[in-house]
Amino acid sequence: MIQGRGWKRWLLTLAVLHGIIACAGFFAPYDSAEQDREHPHLPPMKIHFMDSHGRFHLRPFFYEPRLREGTFEQFEESTEEVQPFRFFVSGARYRLLGLVPSHVHLFGAQDGRFYLLGSDAYGRDQLSRILYGGQISLLAGLLGAGLTLFSGVLIGATAGYFGGWRDGLLMRVAELFVALPWLYLLLALRAFLPLSVSPVQEFFLIVVVIGAVGWARPARLVRGVVLSAKERDFVKAARGFGATDAYLLRRHILPETSSVILTQAAILVPQFVLAEMTLSFLGLGVPEPVPSWGSLLASLQQYSTLVSYWWMYLPVLAIVPFFLGYLGLASALQQDGATEKMVGRAGEDIW
Amino acid sequence: MEPLLIVENLKKCYGREGALRTRKEVAALQGVSFSISRASTLALVGESGSGKSTLAFCIACLERPTSGSIKFNGNELTALDGEQLREVRPQIQLVFQDPARSLNPRFSALEVVSEPLLVQGHLSKREREDRAHTLFAQVGIPKEKALQRAEEFSGGQRQRLAIARALALAPKLLILDEALSALDCSVQAQIANLLVELQSSLGLTYLFITHDFAMAGHLAEEIAVMEQGNLVELGAAEKVLQSPEHEITRRLLAATPRWSFAAHAAKVV
Amino acid sequence: MRYFLRRLMQAAFLLIAVSMLTFLFSTLAPGNYFEEMRLNPQISPETAAALRTQYQLDRPLPVRYGRWANSLLRGEMGFSFAYNSPVAPLLWVRARNTLLLTLTATLIAWALALPLGIWSARTLGRLPDRALSLATAGLLVIPDLLLALGLLILAVRSGWFPTGGMASVGFEDLSLFHKVGDIASHMELPVLALVLSALPVLARHVRAAVAEVLEAPFLRAAASHGIPRRTLLFRYVLRAAAIPLISLFGFSVGALLSGSLIVEVVMSWPGLGPLLLEAILARDLYVVIGGVLFSTIFLVAGNFLADVLIYWADPRIRTGAAAR
Repeated sequence: MIQGRGWKRWLLTLAVLHGIIACAGFFAPYDSAEQDREHPHLPPMKIHFMDSHGRFHLRPFFYEPRLREGTFEQFEESTEEVQPFRFFVSGARYRLLGLVPSHVHLFGAQDGRFYLLGSDAYGRDQLSRILYGGQISLLAGLLGAGLTLFSGVLIGATAGYFGGWRDGLLMRVAELFVALPWLYLLLALRAFLPLSVSPVQEFFLIVVVIGAVGWARPARLVRGVVLSAKERDFVKAARGFGATDAYLLRRHILPETSSVILTQAAILVPQFVLAEMTLSFLGLGVPEPVPSWGSLLASLQQYSTLVSYWWMYLPVLAIVPFFLGYLGLASALQQDGATEKMVGRAGEDIW
Repeated sequence: MEPLLIVENLKKCYGREGALRTRKEVAALQGVSFSISRASTLALVGESGSGKSTLAFCIACLERPTSGSIKFNGNELTALDGEQLREVRPQIQLVFQDPARSLNPRFSALEVVSEPLLVQGHLSKREREDRAHTLFAQVGIPKEKALQRAEEFSGGQRQRLAIARALALAPKLLILDEALSALDCSVQAQIANLLVELQSSLGLTYLFITHDFAMAGHLAEEIAVMEQGNLVELGAAEKVLQSPEHEITRRLLAATPRWSFAAHAAKVV
Repeated sequence: MRYFLRRLMQAAFLLIAVSMLTFLFSTLAPGNYFEEMRLNPQISPETAAALRTQYQLDRPLPVRYGRWANSLLRGEMGFSFAYNSPVAPLLWVRARNTLLLTLTATLIAWALALPLGIWSARTLGRLPDRALSLATAGLLVIPDLLLALGLLILAVRSGWFPTGGMASVGFEDLSLFHKVGDIASHMELPVLALVLSALPVLARHVRAAVAEVLEAPFLRAAASHGIPRRTLLFRYVLRAAAIPLISLFGFSVGALLSGSLIVEVVMSWPGLGPLLLEAILARDLYVVIGGVLFSTIFLVAGNFLADVLIYWADPRIRTGAAAR
């Protein structure tokens, strides 16, 4: 199928990353909606091994935050009380992978809350929100990409295999979609659909909208592959012993498209995750209190946050590895074949 | 006995369409007529573009001729509809020129050869496998290689697989479209021998398309020469080779190197 | 000439189709918009009723589209409920700002991508190329949303760039020269964001296109004739590599347009992006339709420009004009 072994490494990395997000309940110390109104906008807390008296502790610990004197919102460490970490603690209830109920978390504290990446305006733990938010964003991206690829393959194969007026019509429509600025299209599409719906409905709405925007390019690529596969001698031979169209498509032609589909998947998923993030960032995505990577960044639209609470930008640390993984995978997949053809049809890979 | 295949005045035009209107029309076949007797071989010789492959595809029912008649075993092929065509197809099979392209490289040898049986759908899996093994034996593919992928076989072996596949449905007519041209010289002789063997043991009729006169002379009883969609000469092999009537035939013969006749005589039985 | 007519027709067809599509979508939730308008305290019932009859919101869809298209041809694009003013002037101003940003960014990005890509292609596999590949990979990995936010945070905390808006307070009082300077300084950050997001992709494509040409036999033949390097580069390599790059140019305009929406919103640049967003949130129907249409026009214009350039650059198109 696809030669080269590089892509497997990337796939493995991605699998691990996705696994962490999928098991967000375990890795996150707290529930994403748990508020702590006494500690809004806490900066990331430090992990200590050496306490203020110079003693070394084997078990890492942290200090409880307390309000700095004379301020309302600036915190500092209260160095008297040492709060040790505990691993595999019992904490908020959750369902692992949505199925298995559990309450074990990777780490946590006996008393007090530890904010590894700080807290937001409501005192919610950012780390937990990032992990749970990833579930939404990644799922939206994966489902959206799945939807797009499915419809793209369907349309591309139909156009390429049957040709004629179907091909002409479908490709004209595809040209239309390819030529449009996708973000504007996405917003407009989202805009014209009902704005206030339940989170679940919203989520599926977003997936459908994202999936509906991007089908054109995969469709064109698949069509190209199908067109050339159709002319292969072994297809003609099979037709010569009476094979039906369905058989030819299933056994001979569609398997040829597998490498294109996989490469497109690696390219599309991050794009669609970004699309969901953008929608959520702009307030058109999954509503509160469900976190999404985009809505986590939304608070950065306020000047005060930008100036004072820089740690609200930290979700970037979680997002970038995923994009890196997908980019690496796409590169590795594309490098199979004659030369490094990152161009494809000039400019088509661009966004 | 009536000839197995009678082609009369076969014409095929391709119209290439421009943006809004049809442009040049290419007449691939301009009224071809000939016949092939049962269990014999007709060689069709001509240069590239003479219409040989188009003719092959029309007879194999992979293309629809524009006009004319193709009578196979008494049936008029051009008058058959989908269902009837499906019944006739097994009796006329095609072996392509390039075995690297005519076999799906990802299929195993077993899958390649049993594909026609699978498509026709009459046999069970076990029966298909048995038939495939019989075919392997007939064409000389060792049994152990049954599960090897097609792309791992050599050119000659792949062509054997292609022939085995063509024989799977027990056809009466085998159209060999330049089936030896893509093979190495030594392998060509082996496959040619195989074809001769199979013809006598299975009573097959061959339409052997080639651009190589020497090959034609050694495998066929009759030779037909094509040029730009027309059949310009038709006759017994020796006669065409010794005393060609048409100018084209003479020209093509003159272009065939003398030594290849001798070489063929030495290797082909 | 026929080539241009065809392209023009395609562009027109595209625009009409987009306008129909957006209009169609708008009717997916007609009740909502109408309800919003009625409930909007800023619009008196009389105005609402007058608008309703004027735009005939109670008439069937094709009629409404027809009237809208009709008024479009007269230069009107409907009425904005949020801004309480006609849509067209609103859009023009914003569109001008967006164009300013996008065109500047496109020029700068290409001005950087070309030499970088060529240099990379010339030193294929060696240090400069590898360094560049690493740098582009690094930039590619950061999605444009995060890039814009990151730059903004950097700017705010370091104070290096003016942040927000297109002009400083007291803009009106500045001399023309200073006005230009002021706008330019406000453009720095958004343009930087756009350039950084576009540059890696462009540079990679340039590198690929040029590398492919450098491998070509015709180039080696030319070099062996003793043609000087500079001539080789400009007259042979670039001309051959130009063709895929020109169509890339057309696509890059569209991509940058999509990218500019986020950058404009994040950096408060008063372009089409923030306007569209506000209109969406406020259910301001005609502004949304107008905004989408405008952005499509830009895209189509960009692609058409690319077609013109290809026509000029690629002789094969000129000779085989009618063949696709």
